[in-house]
Amino acid sequence: MVRVECLEKMYPGRRGAPPVKAVDGISFQVSRGQLVGLLGPNGAGKTTTVKVLCGLIRPDAGQIVINGKDMVRRRLDALEDVSAVLEGNRNIYWRLTCRENLEFFAALKGRDPRAVRREIDYYLELFRLQDKAHTEARKLSRGMQQKLATAVALLAGSQVVLLDEPTLGLDVQSSLEIRQLLKGLVHEQRRTVILTSHDMHVVQDTCERVIIMNQGRIVADDSVRNLLDLFRVKVYHIVVEGPLSPKQRDALAVLPQVQIGEEALKQTVLTVRLDDSQVLYEVFGVLGEEQAVIRSIDQEQNSFEQIFLEILARGSDSA
Amino acid sequence: MRKKLLLLQAFFKKQVIYFRRYLLNTLGGMLTLYCIFLLILGGYRGLSGPTGLTGDTVEALVVGYVMWFFLYTTYQDVAQQIRSEALTGTLEQLYMSVHGFGWVIGAHVLAAFIANLFMAAVLLAAAMRTAGTVLHINLPALLPVFVGTLLGPVGLGLIIAGLTLIFQRIDSYTQIVQFLLIGLVAMPAEKVAWMRLLPGSFGAGLVREMMVRGRGLAEIGLSRLLLLFAIGAVHLLLGYGVYKLCEKRAMSRGLLGHY
Repeated sequence: MVRVECLEKMYPGRRGAPPVKAVDGISFQVSRGQLVGLLGPNGAGKTTTVKVLCGLIRPDAGQIVINGKDMVRRRLDALEDVSAVLEGNRNIYWRLTCRENLEFFAALKGRDPRAVRREIDYYLELFRLQDKAHTEARKLSRGMQQKLATAVALLAGSQVVLLDEPTLGLDVQSSLEIRQLLKGLVHEQRRTVILTSHDMHVVQDTCERVIIMNQGRIVADDSVRNLLDLFRVKVYHIVVEGPLSPKQRDALAVLPQVQIGEEALKQTVLTVRLDDSQVLYEVFGVLGEEQAVIRSIDQEQNSFEQIFLEILARGSDSA
Repeated sequence: MRKKLLLLQAFFKKQVIYFRRYLLNTLGGMLTLYCIFLLILGGYRGLSGPTGLTGDTVEALVVGYVMWFFLYTTYQDVAQQIRSEALTGTLEQLYMSVHGFGWVIGAHVLAAFIANLFMAAVLLAAAMRTAGTVLHINLPALLPVFVGTLLGPVGLGLIIAGLTLIFQRIDSYTQIVQFLLIGLVAMPAEKVAWMRLLPGSFGAGLVREMMVRGRGLAEIGLSRLLLLFAIGAVHLLLGYGVYKLCEKRAMSRGLLGHY
């Protein structure tokens, strides 16, 4: 559905500054019905990639193929299959009502506004904007404006929808609604959605796959689940009732993978780094000798945000 | 072709919505333009002495004023519109249209022209009444001359719009053009051959002939009409060429809509 090969884009430096390589030879493919998150810190090249994908920036090298159509050579044909909501833009006319915006942009995408009247009703209802159908966009809340812009992009009927920071600046409720709508649309209509976001929670919750960019390159491209597995921290917290005996303390102190916490609330927390599984048997052996009561054993979880930061750090180290 | 008509219809509908929804603003704009006419008329009458302006001169003044309105609004509809779309963040959406940006801006200009015709009619009626003069208004005959005349300002608007895409803040230069247009309309292009090559000048002269002296298309002649369209086409193509160059540069540098 979307194929990007060896994409490169360099911007000339301003006022004598050296040129900036925004995108440095990236390649990836996105299949139909996938919801992919494009992540990266500021200046990673996400927005440039999105704008190249929707034909707004001309690449220096590489190929972008949307549904079999080359975006550089057959731009207008390719645009039939792409719509986008871009970050920092209004994307819609504030002086037109919700319905008028949907009708106008449908015509812009080559659709007859009268023929898509039912679809307009469908999207107004889906995005819970039916009560605001005749309200000017400027009078809507930020969340509603974002919903309208997304509805406009979806009404275009294009297979590929690019959303640049779709939940930026939205309150928790609106962000949740947009995320749920996106998941539903990908599932029901088998649209291909590529979204960029700084919000790891949004990506973890919404996307099945993430492409992480840094300094114009892809540093990770995998499913969210795989990344969580891959970066699962092998650290366990063992909570023991009461204080440890001096004998237990001495026995555990020789194990470099074990950290003994201070006793608090009548319990002691041992942090065990599981470099090899043998160490756990040794810890249990020491605790079992004096029949210490183990209250809980928890595995430490890495948040997706920590994983993201770790991937970026690894990328920087290897660069 | 049907899709292109739908596009034109969409832009025309948007014009009408804006016109009606912001009627007070529209009327205020027209009132301002009428006040400008009053000032021009008063100034000319003051300069011409106690006898005042009579006959052809006052009629030419009214025609010149209406032509300036047409040239200026057409120029603004291109130059200012692209700048405003870039500022508000809808330009990129227009660029993602399946019609291509050339058709999109063409549809916008045509829709705006139709809306401007209505405004010009109101202003013309008010100007004629105030000046106490009657002009020959044969709309079917005037329409092709208007269209040929406006190709120049469209080209001029495209040049300014293209430069705006790259340099972004060139407001002061765009303001100068509105005064330049007064000069272009007032030029005696019918008498000085080289002036015919300037945008809007030749057409404004032809409209003066038609509206002041009551000449029809037959009296204007096919050759002069063709010359008008040829000059207009050159201006339009030149403007479009410059715009495309600027657009290419803006798309290459990622400047489209980055305001």
